[in-house]
Amino acid sequence: MTRLWHWTQVLYLLSCLLSVSWATKGNILSFENTAIVRTVELGGSLVAVTTTYAIQAVTGDTSEYIVALSEAEHGVTSWIEATLKGSVDPLQLKPLGYKHDYAAHLYSITLPKVPVKGETTSLVLETVQTKATYPWPPSSPQGGEQLLKYESDLLVISPYVTSVQRTKVRGPASIRSFTTPEGLGAFTDEPTAVQAGSVVTYGPYKNIPASANPFFAEESQKRILIHYEFNEGVLTVVKLQRAAEISHWGSNLNIENQILLRNTGPTLKGHFSRLDHQFQGHYHSASAQSIRSVPMLLPAGINTPYYYDLIGNVSTSKFRPSRSGKSRTLQFSYLDLRPRYPLLGGWNYSFTLGWDAPLSDSAKWDAKTGRYIIGVPYWTPITGSYVEEAEVKIVLPEGATDVEVFPPFNPLTVNRTVHTSYLDTTGRPAIILTNTRITDRHTGVIYVTYKVPFTAHLKKPIAVAAATFSVFVLALAARRVDPRIHK
Amino acid sequence: MSESYSHIAELHRTLPAFSPYVPATALPYLAFFLLLGTFILGFYFTTLPKDTIPIREVSVASAASILAGFGVVSLFCSSGVNV
Repeated sequence: MTRLWHWTQVLYLLSCLLSVSWATKGNILSFENTAIVRTVELGGSLVAVTTTYAIQAVTGDTSEYIVALSEAEHGVTSWIEATLKGSVDPLQLKPLGYKHDYAAHLYSITLPKVPVKGETTSLVLETVQTKATYPWPPSSPQGGEQLLKYESDLLVISPYVTSVQRTKVRGPASIRSFTTPEGLGAFTDEPTAVQAGSVVTYGPYKNIPASANPFFAEESQKRILIHYEFNEGVLTVVKLQRAAEISHWGSNLNIENQILLRNTGPTLKGHFSRLDHQFQGHYHSASAQSIRSVPMLLPAGINTPYYYDLIGNVSTSKFRPSRSGKSRTLQFSYLDLRPRYPLLGGWNYSFTLGWDAPLSDSAKWDAKTGRYIIGVPYWTPITGSYVEEAEVKIVLPEGATDVEVFPPFNPLTVNRTVHTSYLDTTGRPAIILTNTRITDRHTGVIYVTYKVPFTAHLKKPIAVAAATFSVFVLALAARRVDPRIHK
Repeated sequence: MSESYSHIAELHRTLPAFSPYVPATALPYLAFFLLLGTFILGFYFTTLPKDTIPIREVSVASAASILAGFGVVSLFCSSGVNV
């Protein structure tokens, strides 16, 4: 069925054709989406969305393809990456900001080359969403089931015409209910939603006009809601403060994380029964609502890990160092971190986790420029979780100069300060990066380059020597003072 | 920034690893012998005569202080406080 166009929409589309609002050579006629398939993998704290665009170059005059995210979708998107289908190398993705004419946030993807007219390509856009799910019911008794809700737009919007699109929503376990949208007769004659096991398929929807505009958002877009069961802990790192301290004298990199964890599943209804908790562990499968342990993969080659909270050392955890070998790049040290108490819904737990690692594993020396290059991982990801507020502080050796920072993704703020620690006189330069909503896909490394003159390494021994010499001077003077009482 | 992230990442991947002036495994032994020297010189300082111009005392004190400087830094690093 062909959709009848309102005259205002026709005028709007003509204005888009004439304007170059995203400042590129192309416009909404440059490409056509022959097919869009979106797959939504539902999780606890995180939802992974993979959208495959099968595109065809209509004019063959630009290599910039524009994707659009609605305001709601952009608000929950924390990580976004575009690749060609079958390739692992990410394409250049540039955010263009919110465009009122399109009622959407636009992103420009640069294809490897300008496609010729009629050429087809497949793009894969991967996003990770945070705060897109919420527990429903919001509270649950101990041992009760854990159900979450996920809301999203039904149709993938695009500034280009789309021949056909469908959306598949895949739940980790059973899907209790899902929205069956109405009023989509313009795009389909078939049933709009079909469930097969834990997968709900919406579509196919055909002959969708350029949908990134306010008219489409108001008249044709629908919202869908999926209510599903989630059988693992819903964990969120509310706050992460990571400090990486570099020591040239000790040839050591110390990384210390202060973490505030929260179980963001349904809050506990009623009281906590230790007896029921013990029975669940022994006789039944552990309730998803209760988080007993957090597995973490720590870097290879680390030693002396420590884990304590406000009360003191926490011994309820298991650490397995990485195997020794020639190559440690793909090996990890395994830590099965167990909080002092199980985390029920709505409960928090704060602790400090740190370790030492040989500096030679992370720092390199560039003899040509006389500088050191250190790589510090942004955070140690907890699978299925994200960080609401992250702060990474990198403390360089005393006397470091020509400091430059290369973060893997744009931080919210970058500040430089001076950190004073043991045996310091002038203090150590420190760089503080902050960010929000860091997911387990934010696995990048922060690179810092710096120079440390040889004389700067002598600051500490000279400081201690000066203090010791002052003691000797006092002794020298004291020896010459006669405290005896004379007649 | 004048260099790109990918360039720095490639440099980091290919450049030789950091190597300290003093190997970390030698620090405990260095700390022991340097501090032993400090205490010996400190004791010797107490036995020196009180000269009008304390050249010998200042010399011994200076040597002991230098040994103490490097010895304490080595001791800190050996004890796990990597300064």
